[in-house]
Amino acid sequence: MNPTTVGLIGIALLLVLFLLRMPVAFAMALVGFGGFALLTSPAAALHLLSRDVYDTFSSYPLSVIPLFILMGTFAFASGISQRLYKTTYTWIGQYRGGLTMATVFACAGFGAICGSSTATAATMGKIALPEMKKYDYDDTLSTGTVAAAGTLGILIPPSTVLIVYGILTEESIGKLFVAGILPGILMTILFALTVAVLCWRNPAIGPPGTPTSWGEKLKALTGIIEALLLFLLAIGGLFLGWFSPTQAGAIGAGGALLIGLVRRKLTWGTFVDAGKAAIRTSCMVIFIISGAVVFGHFMSVSRIPFILAEWLGGLPIHPMAIIGVIIFIYFLGGFFMDSMGLVVVTIPIFFPIVMKLGFDPIWFGVIIVLVSEMGVITPPVGVNVFVIKGISPDIPLEQIFRGILPFLAALVIMTIILLIFPQIATFLPSLVGY
Amino acid sequence: MPDKFERFNRLISGWFEWIGFAALFLMMAVTCVDVVGAKVFKWRLLGALDIVTLSQIVAIGFAASMTLIVGQHISVEFFFKLMPRPLQKVIHGFVLLLSLGLFVLIIWQVCVLGYSFQESGEYSPTIYIPLYPFAYALAFACIPVCLVLIQTFIKAVAGGQEK
Repeated sequence: MNPTTVGLIGIALLLVLFLLRMPVAFAMALVGFGGFALLTSPAAALHLLSRDVYDTFSSYPLSVIPLFILMGTFAFASGISQRLYKTTYTWIGQYRGGLTMATVFACAGFGAICGSSTATAATMGKIALPEMKKYDYDDTLSTGTVAAAGTLGILIPPSTVLIVYGILTEESIGKLFVAGILPGILMTILFALTVAVLCWRNPAIGPPGTPTSWGEKLKALTGIIEALLLFLLAIGGLFLGWFSPTQAGAIGAGGALLIGLVRRKLTWGTFVDAGKAAIRTSCMVIFIISGAVVFGHFMSVSRIPFILAEWLGGLPIHPMAIIGVIIFIYFLGGFFMDSMGLVVVTIPIFFPIVMKLGFDPIWFGVIIVLVSEMGVITPPVGVNVFVIKGISPDIPLEQIFRGILPFLAALVIMTIILLIFPQIATFLPSLVGY
Repeated sequence: MPDKFERFNRLISGWFEWIGFAALFLMMAVTCVDVVGAKVFKWRLLGALDIVTLSQIVAIGFAASMTLIVGQHISVEFFFKLMPRPLQKVIHGFVLLLSLGLFVLIIWQVCVLGYSFQESGEYSPTIYIPLYPFAYALAFACIPVCLVLIQTFIKAVAGGQEK
């Protein structure tokens, strides 16, 4: 059997194992190992398996993942998220739909210190949903907003998905982080505008909250200082070249821990819970990368990505049309798979094509994250929606998915804007020298 | 008996997770000391990079079984849930056996790798920490993963409530 046929059978087998509910990480490692054994030799495949697992686990560039995840969990345990919400709520809560908009901005703020969309949605959902309930906000609007705005966590740096993309494609994580800033801000504004339009069309869904004085507003600003400091220190330090990504993650985690201790918010229990949450998520991500590395080696010897890149590159159609097809595949994939899994599985196949077509890898990374964000909120695997359902069990799942639709439209608009104006993602990275 | 096995696995995995957490905390602490030392006191912590990479092996390896127990690994649930219950049981058991096979291979081959490190005398690049204990530790940390997979398989075959 020729290598390409084996590769295609491998991909098909991988999809079958996914459908049989085998963890993505294990399925990729197993298929990668089997395929590599078939195309080279069983001895080579056994060596590859141990070497890939050991090398991934001991990879210094990968240490950025557990440290940024730890930063997010410590930030949550330190009560930063509650204070962020209080600030945004004090500033705009009194306007029509203000509480929902406050939630969007608080999600963006928390996304700036936490790299996970699920964590952002869960954190903000616990704080914002009871408040919106208190002020008679429409459940469809409030739950839809939190689930959608939670996705800002993987677009605004630090982002675990961008880190993994950077590692798999050997692109600068610093540049990828910086590239996510402007699209993240634009996305936040688009989400807030979506809320404004919805509440303008139907004022009953987002009644104004209690008015606050300018004194209260100014006093509430102290609530964002810690998050801002942490962001400026970790991401700013990375942007300015003070720290490597791993160092930025460690400083961020240390800073969040220090804030919790100074604020006396961190107890032994919350400290341990935060640490355990971080280690479990990190373990999941690094196992997935190990699986992807083994699978990637199999794909390389099968030569499928290169043949596909050659073929697509030679087609007499506009490269943008091919990008459109790739985006559509990501969009469809997002219906069934978590964003991290989707990126890890597809990057070894699609990245060579994108490079062959001459697109900017940093821009493509941001596009992929944006499209993956849609998968986080669309049925049947919309993880964020399930998180919100867990927080508000009395609200039907269909209602939350209905609340998502206007925000899904905003995400599609943002993707189109980024396709037309790639500079939104590439301008800031062009200023960074590393 | 299966309940005892499950409790045993949880206990062992809980202890291992503590080791993993300690290693993660060490990664953070060592990097912070190195960065603050370098930026403020013009002093670098010798071997910080070695400690971080080796701690990461311990952190991730020792958290593996608890990550599996709490169901943190990403999988595609949608199609599986559409299948009839008896078929779900068969497929679940089959997938668990495949996963078990994979981890047995990993343990075996990482032990072989550790032995080759030991024989060839491989050390970390800066402070020359021997690498073989970490390879053996990784293999050892994967043993509870196999135990959890066996226990889940027994439970699935016996028809117990799935997590």
